Amino acid sequence: MTRHQRQRLHTTIIFIALLIASAFVIVPVLWMFSTSVKTMEEMFSLPIKWIPNTISWDAYQRIWTDYPFGRYILNSFIVVSGATLISLFVSSLAGYGASRFRFLGRTAFLTFLLITQMFPSIMLLIPYFQLMKTFGLINTYAGLIFAYISFTIPLASWLMLGYFNSIPKELDDAASIDGASRWRIFWQIVMPLALPGLAATAIYAFIVGWNEYIFALVLTTDDKMKTIPIGIGELIGQYRIAWNDMMAVSLVVSVPLTILFLFLQRFLVSSLTAGAVKQ
Amino acid sequence: MSVKAVLVKLSLSILLITSFASVTAQTVLRIMSSTIVESPEGDVEQAIADAFMAANPDIEIEFIGTPMNDMFQVLTTSAIGGELPDIFTNTAEFSAQAQDLGIAADLNDLFSEDFLAGFYPTAIEEGTVNGELIFLPWFTVPVGVLYRADWFEEAGLAGPQTWDEFVGAAQALTQDTNNDGQNDRWGFAMVGTKNGSGFFRFTHLLRSQGAWELYKDANGNWQSDLGSEGMVNALAIYKELHDAGLVPPGVTETGYGEAVSLMASDKTAMMVTGPHTIGAILAQNPDLEGQIHSVPIPLGVDRSASLGVGGFSVAATSEHKEAAARYLEFLVSTENMLEWNRVTGRMPAQIEAGEQPQISGPVYAGFVEAIQISKPMPQATFYTQIQEVMGEAYQAVLVGGVSPADAAAEAGVTAAAIIADAE
Amino acid sequence: MTLESKQAIQKKSSSTHRHFNQRQLAGLWFILPAALSLLVIVAYPLLYGFYISLFRTNLLTRWDFRWFQNYVRIFTSADFLQTVFTTLKFTVGAVAGQFVVGLSLALLLNTKVPGRALFRTVLLVPWLFPEVVVALLWKWMYNPLYGLFNDILLTLNVISEPTSWLGSTTTALPSVILTVIWKGYPLVMLLMLAGLQAISQEQYESAEIDGASWWQSFVYITQPNLRKVIMFNLKLNNVWWFKNFGIVLVLTQGGPINATSVISIDIYKTAFEAFRFGRAAALAVIVFFIVFLISVLYQRFLGGDD
Repeated sequence: MTRHQRQRLHTTIIFIALLIASAFVIVPVLWMFSTSVKTMEEMFSLPIKWIPNTISWDAYQRIWTDYPFGRYILNSFIVVSGATLISLFVSSLAGYGASRFRFLGRTAFLTFLLITQMFPSIMLLIPYFQLMKTFGLINTYAGLIFAYISFTIPLASWLMLGYFNSIPKELDDAASIDGASRWRIFWQIVMPLALPGLAATAIYAFIVGWNEYIFALVLTTDDKMKTIPIGIGELIGQYRIAWNDMMAVSLVVSVPLTILFLFLQRFLVSSLTAGAVKQ
Repeated sequence: MSVKAVLVKLSLSILLITSFASVTAQTVLRIMSSTIVESPEGDVEQAIADAFMAANPDIEIEFIGTPMNDMFQVLTTSAIGGELPDIFTNTAEFSAQAQDLGIAADLNDLFSEDFLAGFYPTAIEEGTVNGELIFLPWFTVPVGVLYRADWFEEAGLAGPQTWDEFVGAAQALTQDTNNDGQNDRWGFAMVGTKNGSGFFRFTHLLRSQGAWELYKDANGNWQSDLGSEGMVNALAIYKELHDAGLVPPGVTETGYGEAVSLMASDKTAMMVTGPHTIGAILAQNPDLEGQIHSVPIPLGVDRSASLGVGGFSVAATSEHKEAAARYLEFLVSTENMLEWNRVTGRMPAQIEAGEQPQISGPVYAGFVEAIQISKPMPQATFYTQIQEVMGEAYQAVLVGGVSPADAAAEAGVTAAAIIADAE
Repeated sequence: MTLESKQAIQKKSSSTHRHFNQRQLAGLWFILPAALSLLVIVAYPLLYGFYISLFRTNLLTRWDFRWFQNYVRIFTSADFLQTVFTTLKFTVGAVAGQFVVGLSLALLLNTKVPGRALFRTVLLVPWLFPEVVVALLWKWMYNPLYGLFNDILLTLNVISEPTSWLGSTTTALPSVILTVIWKGYPLVMLLMLAGLQAISQEQYESAEIDGASWWQSFVYITQPNLRKVIMFNLKLNNVWWFKNFGIVLVLTQGGPINATSVISIDIYKTAFEAFRFGRAAALAVIVFFIVFLISVLYQRFLGGDD
């Protein structure tokens, strides 16, 4: 076997492996879709049918007319974007600080980041609520944004620390000799190189907020302030679950996420060709 | 009419409108409701609130929709944070907690005796803790057995009156309808999950065997019969139904929703549940209209029935108790209760509404009977813990290979420990 | 030593000193926003939790100070060790499974395989759905009668009759773990992928020229480069899944019997069903120390992350 043939065999095996892995994702998602276009009558009819006798798109209409999902999506978008931007900024600073400087309390800070995640969140609900009430943040975007950044900053900071570590410190030193300020070095020289890391971190922070349920449930009581997961939670009634509506909403709201991911992916890939950075 | 006159008239009317709005400084009533987010319940509830607001322009109603599954979590958090709404959904299960937490106003102070006398006495009793009326009953979900009348008739059976008949019917109706050597229809959609739906259904079997999961003895001390002979018998009936293959596979996975689907997809003949389930079954299978009848919980050594009351509390901290009482009084009218029943299947909590022809016939027969003999649920703050013990016991018997006697003995010990710990 | 040289040394040392101080300060300034916001948001709730764990309280009408009674009762209760053990099994299964699946897929995606952008997107999809939707979806797929799995397995003749995956004490926990892996591997995959792409391609090329096998390049190039990401990710995943309860609550409610009864379900029920907030807080504090201990063990046996 020539090297070229071996290479092709490798690629084929990898391709098949990825195909099988994707099947594990696609089958459940197709099932969600199939459920979303079924009528109540066909939802649990046996034997199992992938394609229902009557395909009904009603659920996709209902999510806009019967429930204020338009508003929920807007709310989610505002809260989650806000939280993502803030936690990206704050964590980049922290990651850069911990990567480039050795200072008293550095290790303590890095441990503290992990420790903040160790207390079971269900027991944080009540004190959070009290805090938010004290600052008048119940039913506000700011309240939820504060809550979400506390979930995402720790991992985001560690991730950014890792990416900054992989960017050679010589760059900073060179810029420093040229007389650039610490801030300029961080913001104009190092940050642009950390784009792949930023993209991954952004995806992480965005999705954590996008799917968060319990805190959004407790911190927002006003219908106008509810987020998507709360809307989905309301489809799960005491006595019945609106399966078709729930699946329709879940699929619809995952579309913008997928687009966002496709967009951010460009930055993820860019580091492949940005090998020049290393020299 | 001159332009000037029109303008004067216009500005006058604007003045009038704005001053009117400012004079009637509105009272905003915030209502935390679990039914407002459900369908079709929410539409009825909203329509009633709209009608109330039209009749009372000085009051504005603002709903805070919270799914039932998260209701008491949100409620408690809000209460501790000092942000309780004026009115909130409450049930017999939570009333003892609500009283203990001091979050609900005593409705005896807000409503007249005459008005409260219009409700089923058991409903008022369920809402009363330590002499305080914690919530105003709005509907009942009495529990009984729903069964497939068409299949029963085919097999020459009548609705089961005793547990022996129940097991017999389950046996007769468990069938292999397509002759492939495997049963594809079962007698009983047993709810065996470890949650409220499962606990509640087992409780009624238990009580029909003469054992009470929790009660106050003559000296006012809490007692539990979970270690008694009645518990052993109750567990034995569950075991018999399961081991003989009279329930569909995966009994501990069968929650309320799964059981409804089993009934709707012609897989099971009986289910222990309330009248609200009929609507849920028909939504999935409209062909069953009129084929589902009800009987009370079968007789063991005793009758067992409960009302399953749901209603609304007025927050102890509310500044608009008067307005809240006005809304609740409006809500629980005979007309509204009947509309609520028609759409959601839940039954009226008021005697007058309950006696209307709408609430009769073979579909409701079992539930109407159940209302007459219903007994209240225990009002203890630790009741959920006792329920958990029952759940572990029946699951241990169903899938853990534990004998009813052993499971009952262990449940008895654990229940006693919980009671001791609580006092 | 001449005065001149002495002065020079002094000057030098003071300048390093000042320089050192500046570097110290600069570092602190950079971490300040993160440290402050976390302190404000997390410190009070944490201290509050420790505080109420010393009471028998419903947080409104009853506040009985009981020292460490809650802790004593928890440690002497028969179920406690069992619950912790189940939680550990759940966590190890979830974290290890997500790690293996996530890392493998990241390695596969980091090749020049055709359609990798599409694969990358598709494989991330499970992460896009809220936990409750994933749990409900899998619950129906596991269902013995209506479920997809039994349908497929029966068609393929792998099983001869419907199996209750979530209803048997032996298969319930593995089934729950499988669901959790499905939901959680995309994050690991994403982080590993981003980490892999930060490794320059030249390193691999020169290794290949030297005749290194795939495994050797993995051990000597990939592994050291990914180490920090892996370590922190492992620790954090461990912390998260040890405390998670949403998926288990929907799938099994801790059953059958107590086969999947993880500690956070216990905390949830103690707090919001039994309203014994003191005991629930004590359980939470215990969880806090357990995950802390596990993180220390990771550090000790698998090496540092920094």
